[in-house]
Amino acid sequence: MNEEKRQEALENIELIKELVIQTKKHVGNYGGRWICFIWGIFCLIGVAGQRLFIPEGALIGAWWMILAVIAGLATYLTTKKHLKSQPERTQRNYIRYLLQFWIPLILLGYTLAIFVALLPSLSNHYISPVILLVVSTGYLMIGFMFYKGILYMGIIGYITSIISAIYFLEYSDIILGALFGVGLIITGIVINEQWKTT
Amino acid sequence: MEDHITIKLNKAIHQKARLGIMSILMASQGAEFNYLKDRLKLTDGNLSSHLSLLEKEKYIKIKKKFVKKMPKTLCQMTEKGRQAFEEYLENLEKIIRSTS
Repeated sequence: MNEEKRQEALENIELIKELVIQTKKHVGNYGGRWICFIWGIFCLIGVAGQRLFIPEGALIGAWWMILAVIAGLATYLTTKKHLKSQPERTQRNYIRYLLQFWIPLILLGYTLAIFVALLPSLSNHYISPVILLVVSTGYLMIGFMFYKGILYMGIIGYITSIISAIYFLEYSDIILGALFGVGLIITGIVINEQWKTT
Repeated sequence: MEDHITIKLNKAIHQKARLGIMSILMASQGAEFNYLKDRLKLTDGNLSSHLSLLEKEKYIKIKKKFVKKMPKTLCQMTEKGRQAFEEYLENLEKIIRSTS
């Protein structure tokens, strides 16, 4: 009788543990890792396309804009899909998530790119290193305040932008795209692994 | 040492489906009816009856609203429910400890 009750208690604790862990995984998971993959691929395809197929000029802007629309749509569909796995499937939570994180980040990237491109005294060659430098500063600031991993990304960004500006200026846009693209994909992989093991 | 035969487990919680509901609500700020149904693999009627019992005990509160003309039922754990669940967990631990 005692052993039976103990066995039941153990089973119940196991059930509680499993349900709590699974629910915590679902709460707030809007597919951030997939969004990292999407925008990582966006960077890589963007830079590769710009280098290989697009001549200099206004077409470059259109190329990035088309890619951004596709990546934005993929982001929307991914988060929408993950909304369904939320315990509380409110549109409010979903919109808050997009407004608080991804939309400001993407807008910041675009504003920065447009701002730098419009600077009259800045040679086209220096656009990529400048963007990388500004973004790296952001990473450094966030890294100092919150998370050491991001600090390292800022340091790598700084070093890469200086090296590319001095030695590989011709290829700085490829370096910038590759760094962002690969960085985002690695972030996605890291989040994925963490998600699996929690 | 306390004999665990004397330990009383809360009957409202000590049932697999209701224990599942309470566990999910404990780990979230609230869960919708369909989410609970999917996770616990219960039928509408079965889940409704368990929710009603927990609501009657004031362990959970149920809010109903319409979003885009679709009914949505949100379940949330009350403070009384949280306390009862924690007490239930402590009793489970006591049972395990008393025979180990």
